[in-house]
Order: sequence, then structure tokens, then C-alpha cells
Amino acid sequence: MSGPIVRIEGLAKRFGAVTAVDRVDLDIERGALFALLGGSGCGKTTLLRLLAGFETPDGGRVLIDGQDMTGVPPHLRPVNMMFQSYALFPHMSVADNVAYGLRREGGGGAETDRRVGEALDQVRLADFAKRRPAQLSGGQRQRVALARALIKRPKLLLLDEPLAALDRKLREGTRFELVRLQAELGLTFVMVTHDQEEAMSMASTLAVMDAGRIVQVGAPHDVYERPASRFVAGFIGLANILEAPGGRWVALRPEKIVLSAARPDLPHASAGKVVDIAYEGARSLCRVALDDGRTMLAATSDGAFRRGQDVWLGWAADAGHPLDE
Amino acid sequence: MRLVIALPFVWLGVFFLLPFALVLAIALGANAPDSVPPVELGLSPKNFALLFTDDLYLAAWLTSLRIAAVSTLAALLLGYPMAYAIARAAPARRPLLLMLVVLPFWTSFLIRIYAWMGLLDENGLLNQFLRWSGIVADPGTLLGTEWAVHLGIVYAYLPFMVLPLYATLEKLDVSLLEAAADLGARPFAAFLTITLPLSLPGIVAGCLLVFIPAVGEFVIPDLLGGTGTLMIGKVLWDEFFTNGDWPLASAVAICLLVLLAGPIALFQRQQAKGLERRT
Amino acid sequence: MRLLRLASLLALAVAPLPVSAQGSVNVYNWSDYIAEDQLKAFEKDTGIKVNYTTYDSNEILDAKLKTGKSGYDVVVPTASPFFVRQLAAGIYQPLDKAKLKNWSNLDPEILAALAKYDPGNAHGVPWMWGTTGIGYNVAEIRKRLPDAPVDSLRMIFDPAVVSKFKDCGVMLLDSATDVLPAALKYLGLDPDSKKPEDLAKAADVVKAVRPFVRKFHSSEYINALAGGNICLAFGFSGDVFQARDRAAKAKDKREIAYAIPKEGSLLWIDVAAVPKDAPNPANALRFLDFLMEAKVAAASSELTGYANGNKAALALLPKDISSNPLIYPPADVRANFYTITAGTPEQTRERTRLWTAVKTGR
Repeated sequence: MSGPIVRIEGLAKRFGAVTAVDRVDLDIERGALFALLGGSGCGKTTLLRLLAGFETPDGGRVLIDGQDMTGVPPHLRPVNMMFQSYALFPHMSVADNVAYGLRREGGGGAETDRRVGEALDQVRLADFAKRRPAQLSGGQRQRVALARALIKRPKLLLLDEPLAALDRKLREGTRFELVRLQAELGLTFVMVTHDQEEAMSMASTLAVMDAGRIVQVGAPHDVYERPASRFVAGFIGLANILEAPGGRWVALRPEKIVLSAARPDLPHASAGKVVDIAYEGARSLCRVALDDGRTMLAATSDGAFRRGQDVWLGWAADAGHPLDE
Repeated sequence: MRLVIALPFVWLGVFFLLPFALVLAIALGANAPDSVPPVELGLSPKNFALLFTDDLYLAAWLTSLRIAAVSTLAALLLGYPMAYAIARAAPARRPLLLMLVVLPFWTSFLIRIYAWMGLLDENGLLNQFLRWSGIVADPGTLLGTEWAVHLGIVYAYLPFMVLPLYATLEKLDVSLLEAAADLGARPFAAFLTITLPLSLPGIVAGCLLVFIPAVGEFVIPDLLGGTGTLMIGKVLWDEFFTNGDWPLASAVAICLLVLLAGPIALFQRQQAKGLERRT
Repeated sequence: MRLLRLASLLALAVAPLPVSAQGSVNVYNWSDYIAEDQLKAFEKDTGIKVNYTTYDSNEILDAKLKTGKSGYDVVVPTASPFFVRQLAAGIYQPLDKAKLKNWSNLDPEILAALAKYDPGNAHGVPWMWGTTGIGYNVAEIRKRLPDAPVDSLRMIFDPAVVSKFKDCGVMLLDSATDVLPAALKYLGLDPDSKKPEDLAKAADVVKAVRPFVRKFHSSEYINALAGGNICLAFGFSGDVFQARDRAAKAKDKREIAYAIPKEGSLLWIDVAAVPKDAPNPANALRFLDFLMEAKVAAASSELTGYANGNKAALALLPKDISSNPLIYPPADVRANFYTITAGTPEQTRERTRLWTAVKTGR
């Protein structure tokens, strides 16, 4: 088998007057951990539901592993999904939840039990097999949902905001676990998230969506370093958007700026005054009002700067990334 | 404030416990046709004993249970798809659909049952239609059969089935069905494994709300049923009005209540469980 | 305090009638049973206000009277089995006949029949009376059995005859005290027999025709006959007349007829009586006396189409009522009329039990 696992061609979906997905073309490579990133209402969840088959497209088509999915109902697609709410069956035990997919294929008996046991081991829930979902913590529920979605070895695992319902501390650990699992199983994950940090840290490829369209696709590093538009630059990480000569725009990340008390020996240098300082531990983020009236963000690991202090900002000639618009 | 708390108990006392105590007292007395009221108070269990020695009562009781059970099942089979359709209808349309279910209650119960007599008669609308359309040349008559009784009970009590079913189905999280479909369940399998078990509280509540009053039903079997349909309600009526035997009629009523206490308790437990789950 | 007031309100709501003011009489009667203009005339003549309420089943009246303190001054139950049972319970007060100057208007023959229930006619005044017989749809019966014995109990008790009418519908009264005596009469036994072996034989007669009977019911046959849903009924004369009139008015003009069985007919009599605890006993007597006026009885018979127990009224009646042999049967038919006695409570229970067994085919 070769070629992308998912090929999306001119896919469109409208809800009444609202265009949720607007003629999207996209390929997803085999074995990727692909993140769809965007704000609420950008169409990322609709796109995911179109892949799962819960929505019927108004135009275009989806191919999964070369197969046209048009008219194929959800239960016949080689795809499984982990729901944002987890959608665990409240009247079934953890083991029965996980076994559900296998039993629908007529599976039963020892083989199913073995695979369920294996899946529960994989998510460290072997001791909870007989419990009901209501008796589990949020993190445990998330793992049940994951085990349930993975047990059929889908060609494609869809994850709708997989970490949104977890508290922050749990989220960090789960991130690594998902990445590890994806690497171990060698499956393709498609994940929807509104959290750019999450997308950046987990995805092998990410796509930024805005108003139903995909505005940029690439590796997290590429998207961060070379945002294609002001929207992407502003959405992913922090950026100073500067006007360059000739009406062009340039994105300048705060960490590319050198903050110093004396004028630095750099091609670009401006004087200003520190307005605000946000201490983030490893670094501090300073908002500096320049003498020419602009305000810029600069990152520094030096903790010596004070509010109201006169400072200099400087950056290299190639520090800024030119934007398309 | 204290009055507000006391009100349900006062209500229960005045409209249930007091009448129940009176009926029990009469049931323990003896028939005294020469006095007014025709009861001689006492503490004799002989009226109850009679109910167990004469197989007429047992037979009437069993018939009532059978008819109530069959009608309840029919109401469930009819009410479930209705409740399901309403729960899945656009939210804006649901109040209208629910109102349509309840609408018949705006007319007198008796008038509605009489209307069924007009439909099911030998020359009623149903037979007129069957003859006119040529589907059946000589359709016979449905009125006066046990089928007509079932029909009447299902018709009269259907809202009691639909409303609790709707309440549980409406709360059902649609994403559970999507998850089932996603895991390979065909729509019918998803219904059997997810929707059905999760709507079980509604099924139990609806079935009991139909079953309990159907067992003691008198008007429907009297008007729509035939002579062979002997239900406990008719026996009670006969004892009270035809024989003028108030104590024995009271004993029948008490037994009816005691035998229904099981299903009623089940219903209460189900309701309490539902409340707990919600909090 | 507030609760107490609520309780007294409830008590008021439960009381059957407001405390009667002086100069009124509370009458509880069958619906459409007294000519209304006559009631108005009574109020005008005596200045007594009539609180007139109606019922349509003896059972309702019976339950109200047996609860006690009904608040009624005049009630009109059917003689058997209701009036006679109520009498045994001591519900009625003896009538002061000195105050009933119209008593002499009453028909001695009907009084004699009523005296079987109420010795010496001490408690009740006969109002309307009639027979128990066969109502049938003339065309349907003729079509199935041209020489049907319509004026015989064979119509309903001979399986060879009844079976012919199964398809067009047969209904019998749901009443042990009406059908079992008729079956006894059909067998040539004493219709008032309380002997278990006689009643068992009567039950067998009914059981034999039960497969051909669509329903046992005491009122449904009126509509069913009129609407053409059944073609044969055993019921009360007045009810069949109602069905006949209704059928005649219907657009497909069914002809319904009534026949008094030649073997004999159970006579029914509705009796006006005064409960012991009547709040206005004096006015009650004045009302009874008013009922016994010839013109009142005659006007009411014109309304109902029933015979009344008032001999003096006969002359005032239109010919089509007074000389109708189905309403006022000739002497040889009247000679075959019978009435039955109440029997003990045990006998009542046994009879009801037997009747239930017959009806349900057990």
C-alpha cells in the first residue's frame, strides 16, 4: 500500500446558511499524528465528523486508504473515534465497553476476552475491568475511551479534543502517552484541538483551519517558524507583526528579539520602555513601548529588567519571517 | 412553611389512608342487608377467606392480569416508536407532538370509549370501510371481544406509556449512538445494545402506569368487551351493586390493592432510583 | 385554624344537598320521567320548590340510599329487586294515606302485584310499569326465519331458533333477576323458585344459547337495536319502544317491534317512595299526591310511552297509548304476568354467582 491514508477532495459541508467546511483539499500521510488546529467554529470538528461518516458532505469526497467513502455509513468505515465526551456506555462495565466493537463483528469468547485484557493492560486499567464508567476518574475514563476506540485496530483513529476534559497536570502526562501509543501501534491519528500548545507538542503534521478552510499545513516547526499568514502567525505562538518596506508584513517571534540596556550591535535596533513583565519561570515576557509608538513583545531569560526601565530591542536581519499577506 | 410540608401528608391522610381504613373496616364486617349502611362492623376475616375458596375470584383476577399484561405489551410496542420519534424530532416541534399525545384527555374518557363503540360496531365505521373497500366481505364484529378490550385499554392509557418513555429517550446522549455506530453497530444493533437498555427506566415506569390501572379497569371491558370477559373490576361491581354486599366488595377492593402493591412499590423504587441518579 | 376551616369546607362539599329551606321538596327520579310542565304547575299551585335531580341506573340510587342521609324526599326505584331490598333495610317510611286523597285513582291490579313486595302497599306508590319481552328487527328476523316465534320465549331460549340470529346479533339483559325467572317460566317451572336445582336447570337453558348471544347488557341493546347492530334482544318494554322510535327516525328506517312472550312476562313497576330521613316529609306526601293526579300520570305516560299505575288516567290518555296491547295488554295477557320475591342475601349471592358462571361460560 502506498499513497496517503486519507485523501480529501473538495469537501464541503453547510449547515443552513453557515459553511462549516469550505472546499477542503487535504492529504494525510500514513502513520502521521495529524492535528487539526483552529478556534471554535472553524469547522475542524465537522471535518472530523465527515471522516467518521456522522455527517454527509454537500460536495467533494473522502478516500480512506484509496477507498471512496461516499455513502458508506459510520459502522462500515475502517475508522474509529474517541469522542470529546468519551461517550462511554454508562450501563456497561469497562470491559464490556472495550469489547463492544469486537462483539459487533460477531466476536466473542476467549479471543475477545484476551484482546480486551490486552487493551486494558495497554492503558493500565486491568484492575478496573468490572467497574462502571461512573465509578472512574476523568483520566481513567479517557483511557477506557481510548482502549475502546483502538481495539479494532482501525486504519485511522480520530480524536476529538482528546485532552480537553482533563485537568492540566493530567494533560501533560497523557500527551506523551498518546504520542508513545501512536508510535508503538504505527497507526494514523487524526486529532482535533483548539490548543496550539497541544498541537505543537504532539503532532507530526498539523493543519490550521479558519472559517472552514485549511490555511496552512506542515510540520509544527515549519508552521511556527514560517507562518503563511498573519492569522497563523497570531494563532500559533506569540508574534510581533511588523510592517516591512514595500507594504509587506513580517512576523517576529519574541524569542528572536534581544533585550538589552545598551544599544545592541544588530541590524535592527529600537529604543523603548518596559510597560509590563510576565514572569514565566524559564523566561520573562516583556511588553515594550517603543519610542516610535509601536508596542512589541520580547522574551528574555535575564531577570534584571524592571517595569519602567529604558531598554533597547534588537534583532538579526533574518529573524523575521515574511508573510503572504 | 410547616403547612407546606404537612400538606402532602394531610392529602395522603384525608384522601388515601382514611378511605382505605374505612374500606378495610367494612371488609372486616358482615353483610347486613337490613340496615343502613348495610354493614355490621366486626373483625372477621371470612370475607377474605371467601375470596380464596371460590375460584371465581381467582379466575377473574387471572383474566384481569392477562388482559392488563397483553394490553401493556401492546401499548409498549406502539408507544415506544411514538416516544422515540418525538424525542428525535426537532426540539421546536416536540411540544406540539407531545400535546397531540395528550390531546385526547381534553375529552371525557367515557365519551371516547363510546366513540370506539361506534367505530367497532357491526355497522360501525370500521366495518363500513371494510365492506366498502371490499377487503373483507363479512368482517364480523370486533365489539364485544377481548380484542376490543385490549384496543380500548391501549388507546386510553397510551399517553401514560409515551410520556415516561419520552422523558428517558429525550435524555439519551446521541453521541452514545454515534459511538456505537463508530464501533461497527448497525442501527438496529445500536438500538438493542444502547437505546433499549438505557430507556429501561422509562419502559418500567410506562408499563406500570398502564398495567396498574388496567388490572382494575371496569368501564372499558363493560362497554367494549364481551360477556365472557370477566375482570376483577366487574366482580367488584357485581358484589357492590348487584348483590349489595358491601363488605365482600370491600374485601375484593383491598385484595386488588394489596396485589397491586408489588408493582406499585416497584414503580416507586424505580422513580426513587431515577431521582438519585439525577442528583 | 386554617386547616379546620378547610375541613369544614370539605364537609360542606361532601354533603349531598344544601339544607332544604322550608317549602321545598327534593325529588330524585329517572331522567325524562315526569312531564315538565306538570312540575311547574305543582310549584305554582303549592308554592313548594321542587329540587329535581335525575339518575339513569337503579344501582346509583341504591348506593346513595344505603349510605344513609341521602337528603332526598321522593325517590323512584324499580320494585324488584331494588325497592324490595331497600324496604327490607328499613329505608322507607310508611305512608300516611289519610293525606293522600288521590290514592283511589290507583289501579288495584297493579297495587296487588306491588303488594307482593310491599304488603298492604304501606310504603310505595306505583308510578310507571311495563313488561319484559322480546325486541326484534322485523326485516332481519323475517329474512332468516320467516315463521319465527316472535311472541314466545323460544325466540331467546330455543337454541334451534336463536342460532339463526347469531350473525345479526342477539343481546340479553345482564340481570339474574330478569333472565333466570324467564328461563324458569320457559321450562314451565315457578319463575319465583329459589330452589337450587330449579335455578340450575334455568342456568342450563341460558348456557345452551350463550354461544349465540353477542352480549349480556342491561342498556346497550337500545342503541344496538336502533342502529341495526343487533336484530334480537330480551329487554324491558320501555327500552325497546325507545329503540323502535329512534330506528323509525333513522335515515334507513329500520322497523323494530316488541312482543310480550305468551308464556308470561315479568312485570316491572317503578315505585315512588319517601326515605325515612327525608328532610321534608310533609312536602314529600304532597308531591306523591300530585303524582297520583290523573292528569299528571296521563301527561307523563304520553311523554314516556309507558303504562302508569293510575286507573283514572286511562281515560285521559290518547287512544294509541291506552288501547295499544303492548302498553296496556288485554286481560288474558295480563293474567300471565308474574313478579318475583327478593330472597335471602345468601340466595342473592348464589344467584349472582350462578349468573356470572353462565355469562362467562364457566
